[in-house]
Amino acid sequence: MQHEWRNWSGSFRFTPASTEAPAGEEELSKIVQRAAAEGRTVRVVGAGHSSSPLVQTEDILISMERLKGVESHDTSVREVTIKSGMMLREANRAFLDLGLALENLGDVDLQSLGGAIGTGTHGTGKRLHILSHHLIGGRLINGRGELIEFSMERDPDFVLAARVVLGTLGIFTALKLRLVPVFHLHRKEWCTHIEDCMANLDRLIEENRNFDFYWYPRSDEAKLRTLNFEEEEQRAIPYARCVKEMSGWSGEVIPRQRELRFDEIEFFFPAESAPACFREVRKRVKQRHRKNVGWRVLYRTIAADDAYLSGAHGCDSATISLHQNTMLPYEEYFKDIESIFRAYGGRPHWGKKHYLKAEDLKPLYPLWDRFLEFRQQMDPEGVFLNPYLGEILGCERAASLRA
Amino acid sequence: MKTIGRTTWAIPGGHIPLRSTGPEPDFTINDELCILNAGRQDAKVEITVFYADRDPVGPYRLTVPARRTRHVRFNDLIDPEAMPLDTGDACIVDADVPIVVQFNRRDTSQAENALLGVIAFPVD
Repeated sequence: MQHEWRNWSGSFRFTPASTEAPAGEEELSKIVQRAAAEGRTVRVVGAGHSSSPLVQTEDILISMERLKGVESHDTSVREVTIKSGMMLREANRAFLDLGLALENLGDVDLQSLGGAIGTGTHGTGKRLHILSHHLIGGRLINGRGELIEFSMERDPDFVLAARVVLGTLGIFTALKLRLVPVFHLHRKEWCTHIEDCMANLDRLIEENRNFDFYWYPRSDEAKLRTLNFEEEEQRAIPYARCVKEMSGWSGEVIPRQRELRFDEIEFFFPAESAPACFREVRKRVKQRHRKNVGWRVLYRTIAADDAYLSGAHGCDSATISLHQNTMLPYEEYFKDIESIFRAYGGRPHWGKKHYLKAEDLKPLYPLWDRFLEFRQQMDPEGVFLNPYLGEILGCERAASLRA
Repeated sequence: MKTIGRTTWAIPGGHIPLRSTGPEPDFTINDELCILNAGRQDAKVEITVFYADRDPVGPYRLTVPARRTRHVRFNDLIDPEAMPLDTGDACIVDADVPIVVQFNRRDTSQAENALLGVIAFPVD
């Protein structure tokens, strides 16, 4: 009997026809080959932290939980190949043992590394990239069940497509990453008024390795978070009071524990237009949504990259995200603010809520069509498509599979 | 210092209007709990909020250290969920040691502010 599956926030749930946990590439290949032959579909589950239904399927759900561990490494060039079923927290620990680290992390480390890469997950920092930027090669099983090895040296375009892939080119079995030497950070959290934060925003972003802020809509206060190398001088923020500080290696001090569950929508914007967008969001929340919205709005920054479907593709970016308790209605709030996000040319975070369809998304990504060509090459029958992916990519499964 | 207070308190008349007047956060319209823990043991406090048309929500958990006070705006409570504004509510405050609970309201819905402060009803 199949169990109902639900994501971290509980905002969507489904019951797959079957769940498979292959022990290796050969077994996984056979599952995909069989699915393709039988006109079935396959989706891969990671940690289930995403709140968009990328994983949703009523057919075959694959768990990569048996494919874990470091496969190979060369610390002289800071390269590590890991099996793709590792959780982000496990991977961080494994990298630490090798004296290496991801250059940045998100607000939590609950995701699978494959899922975090596949959805363009990111942390904050003007000069820091999305996590996918570490990907320089690996292996995947495509929609025909073939094992494909790829690398930046041989297939740079394919790697740029594969960096934010939504699980549509295939199922990663190994991820080759170029990392940075392990590092320690000093983290500080500060409270101030949002007006003081916004008046000093450029400086806060420029002067701190990692900077983000939360705005609290029912008090107009902001919590600032700054992280800098331990050995650097820790600057004071004269208009804010420090309420917390800690030091440690990056995997320990960047992500925090999150017990309280929430749904979230987040969009990327060109860095120069994001402050104006935030001001408009703040005004709208206070005008229309404060009755039911008490939780915070998060503002972060990300360096430009060249992954085809990255939210930061081609421009230094900032993100704005809304949070709502899982027990409270979120759609009216998210949809209303999304209209502001869209007016500023925002691109959605693929792993979070959004209401855009393929026709809305295509103009936002200069290499959209090139990505879809790769998808068609790797999965011509649409074995890895679900209805949601069909809507956001504008793809249909092959006629032979639609019956 | 002898221990004073009760372990269960009730506040039946909560309501936070939607619109504030004046600079925030100082003039944000709010209902507020003021809790005194005069004892020598930290107080673990649980707040359960009641509504007219749905099941109670809670507990909202917080700690008041020994021999300290803590003021908590209902507006700021988010765990397990943000309380709706412009909605009538009531609450029960439970603690594992005796505390004293006062209820304050700052009404800034018009420029002429109104302040209300009352001792909550001691249940036990």
